[in-house]
Amino acid sequence: MVDVTRRHFIGTAAALAAPAIIRPAWAADTVKLGCLFSSSGTMANIEGRLNHVVRMAADGINAKGGVNGRRIEVVTSDPASDWPLYAQIGRQMLQQEKVAALFGCWTSVSRKSVLPVVEQNDGLLFYPLHFEGDENSKNVVYVNSPPASSVLPAVDYLMGAEGVGAKRFFMIGSDYVWPRTINKQLKAYWASKGVAATAWREEYVPLGFSNFQTLVNQIRSFAAEPGGQPIVVLTVVGSSIPDFLREFANQGIRATDVPILGLDMVEADLEGLDTAPLVGHLNCWAYLQAAKAEANTRFLADWAAYVKAKSVPFSADTVIDPMVSAYDSVQLWALAAAKAGSFDVPEVRKAFAGLSFADPSGYTLTMTGENNYVARGVFIGSVNEKQGFDILWQSPDASKPVPFSPYG
Amino acid sequence: MVESLKSWLCGAILLVAGLMQPAFGASPSFERAGFAVGLCGDGAAQSRVLDALIRSSGEVTAEDLAFAGILLGGLLERRLVCLGDTAVLLEKAGAPDGREVVSGGVRSTNGGRSPVLGLRQRGLVETALGISALIAGETVELRRKGLAAVERRMAGVPDAVLVRAQDNESDAGLKTAIGVAAQGAALSSPDPARRLAAIRAVAEALSGAAFSRLSALKSDPAYRADPAFRAALEAAIAKVERAVWIGNGLALLYNGLSFASILFMAAAGLAIIFGLMGVINLAQGEFIMVGAYAAYAVQEAFRRFAPGFLDLYLLAAIPVAFFAAAMVGIVIEALILRHLYRRPLMSLLATWAVSLFLINFVRVVFGSQNLQFAMPSYVSGGVPLYADFIVTWNRLFAIAFAAITLVLTLLILKRSPLGLDIRAVTQNRDMAACLGIRTRRVDRLAFGFGSGLAGLAGVALCPIYSVNPGMGATFIVDSFMVVVLGGVGTVIGTLVAALGIGGANVLIEPFYGAVAAKVIVLVGIILFLQRRPEGLFAVRRRR
Repeated sequence: MVDVTRRHFIGTAAALAAPAIIRPAWAADTVKLGCLFSSSGTMANIEGRLNHVVRMAADGINAKGGVNGRRIEVVTSDPASDWPLYAQIGRQMLQQEKVAALFGCWTSVSRKSVLPVVEQNDGLLFYPLHFEGDENSKNVVYVNSPPASSVLPAVDYLMGAEGVGAKRFFMIGSDYVWPRTINKQLKAYWASKGVAATAWREEYVPLGFSNFQTLVNQIRSFAAEPGGQPIVVLTVVGSSIPDFLREFANQGIRATDVPILGLDMVEADLEGLDTAPLVGHLNCWAYLQAAKAEANTRFLADWAAYVKAKSVPFSADTVIDPMVSAYDSVQLWALAAAKAGSFDVPEVRKAFAGLSFADPSGYTLTMTGENNYVARGVFIGSVNEKQGFDILWQSPDASKPVPFSPYG
Repeated sequence: MVESLKSWLCGAILLVAGLMQPAFGASPSFERAGFAVGLCGDGAAQSRVLDALIRSSGEVTAEDLAFAGILLGGLLERRLVCLGDTAVLLEKAGAPDGREVVSGGVRSTNGGRSPVLGLRQRGLVETALGISALIAGETVELRRKGLAAVERRMAGVPDAVLVRAQDNESDAGLKTAIGVAAQGAALSSPDPARRLAAIRAVAEALSGAAFSRLSALKSDPAYRADPAFRAALEAAIAKVERAVWIGNGLALLYNGLSFASILFMAAAGLAIIFGLMGVINLAQGEFIMVGAYAAYAVQEAFRRFAPGFLDLYLLAAIPVAFFAAAMVGIVIEALILRHLYRRPLMSLLATWAVSLFLINFVRVVFGSQNLQFAMPSYVSGGVPLYADFIVTWNRLFAIAFAAITLVLTLLILKRSPLGLDIRAVTQNRDMAACLGIRTRRVDRLAFGFGSGLAGLAGVALCPIYSVNPGMGATFIVDSFMVVVLGGVGTVIGTLVAALGIGGANVLIEPFYGAVAAKVIVLVGIILFLQRRPEGLFAVRRRR
């Protein structure tokens, strides 16, 4: 009796811990799409939403008759915020599940770990996050913006007269490839503008770090030094973002003293925070929930209805850029597959040239044959007291993406 | 500052009608309708009217300043709605209609928009609001808040404002404070006597910013030429520098203590469970999460049944969280762990399964998003204590909480019959059983007690960290580190280890960064355990 119990529990532990792919019933007239988004670990709260958005997008396409006469079937997984696991599950999805395309990854380190897998298997990975650029694989579709069309406009805004005329910069990031590359490019950018190297500080924390007291103390003494208006460029990710913001507010620093430019900060990071003392801090994305567009109203309503219908364990009235970008990814893939009349990766890839799609941000996304980047608009958002972002500035149109940064 | 202005504005809004007679108390340099229209314009227009108001705030009448203050307060709180050529002030954000700012007539807000403030404009609004409160504030308290706001943004405030505020001020204490602030503003005055007074006034602030301002004067020609100036400046700099140094030392101490208290809270329960039963409980982090969710449930209950006492929910949550986590612990012990004693590997896997189960169970029931806690004033914000040293209330709450937990735990272990049993079983299980102690019952109670302590940690941590189903995973590695270093089964060892690890982390971080701090501490622990595998304080035991 005791033995059975024990075995049972070990079995449960093993089953729960193994990289579980949830397999729906297989049918001949379907085409499979794979998701690589974590529902556990430090990225769970934000990445977890993207699985559901991909499903929602697929449901929408299926309701209109599917793609090339086939229904889309979404295969989800849980890479558990464990970067090598993304590659392992990605390989499994491509080789065993034979998915037509992968949608996944939030952090650049997870993308970098999946990259060799999609290249070896000639798969297609749609990556929905804005990122550090400097990468151009024919097997990855970069649906969101490289720094030249997201980070630099925001930094320019803060340095300009319309912003705060920022002169000094405190960079604080999680210790991995995206923050380090972004900061390297920023330093080169500032150097090209004649900012002295003494005007910036750079600090990194481990992923999932939460004890920001000392760093916020350092930011306060950095702000007290002479030399002009300081700002914080925040590239920490995951659960570190709300923890940092809370400590920042508690130590009494306001956006008008030292503004934070949170490059990975989304509406979801403000859930559960009292944002009144945080009003005015900035972020920059290719989509903000406050975007004024008919497609956005529709998307927000669709998401709220989907959350309600499927009892999705996430907020019905919070929508973040990567959700929209994941949605766009599915749409772009479906458009390309329909245009190619095939699900073969080389055919689909050829069909990318000249695609366009009016997404919820209000901009029209376009792709060229030059690379797998997508042209997006830019928003600069300002934290408001209702745990959201007001649009402070937005680009006149979707700019042509620059994959390789001339800086750094 | 904004908080208290809010309450003042609510009262003042009733006065708006009275203030809105344009003939009464109007100043030549300020035009109410133009100001409102400017605030409704784009960033440039907003900056223009705000700059103009601040520049002329020495002459603008108190009535006009109060009017501007009400408008700006409304603007910050999104209660100002722009309608074509005019603006409407709402009583509450989102209300369907409000009063037109100049005429006072009721207007619907249909088709209107609330302007979004850029950072530059927001800074100007804060300055202007501070000036308005300092000069036109009804109560001493409001004017004091105004002074604090003005001092924060001194560079953009005309001298005439402080002169005027000082002349008008009736409260003696505040009058002196304004005088000191005004003196400080004269740091670059041509009059040497005023400059010396300014140096002394700035040195009163004892902050890093004051240090920078004073240090900048070293390149002033007077520093070389005038020995009196030089002596005064050097004395002031030395004074501020010492204070900042002490303040930083205090901050370091406080940071170390608060990190240690978090580590201790997370590890205390584990020390008992691991020490007593040798169970490596990987679900300990999830017991912390259960405690935090129990606190959330208590908050929701207060919200529904006793909204007036909502601020007290954290205190009420203490026993609830303890018993919730203890019950979960006891159930798990009874259902699973009691079959696995003396099989540490099995119990490790089983508790891991439990942890995964709890995470997913909570995720399904509550969702994965961060929970929304209403933070009472006693756990949000902070108070500057000395120089740049700020005591943040949420950390202080955790420190106090950890101290009380420590005392109670020690009392229970050393003074209660249960504690006696627990110690007996820890030291020699078989002998204790021979003497008639029901070891299984002690195990269960001890497991419940250890889980309950983790639940308490959940209450202490919810003002500091985000509460979501995965929060427990953050703590498990750190708590094992603390328990193993402290020596299995001793609460004092856990305390010392928590203090040591917390202090070491905080000491190393400013010099080598947070990543290196973590690595150095880990390497240090490994080296220490090589020398002393039983940890800092080992309990002598026979198994």
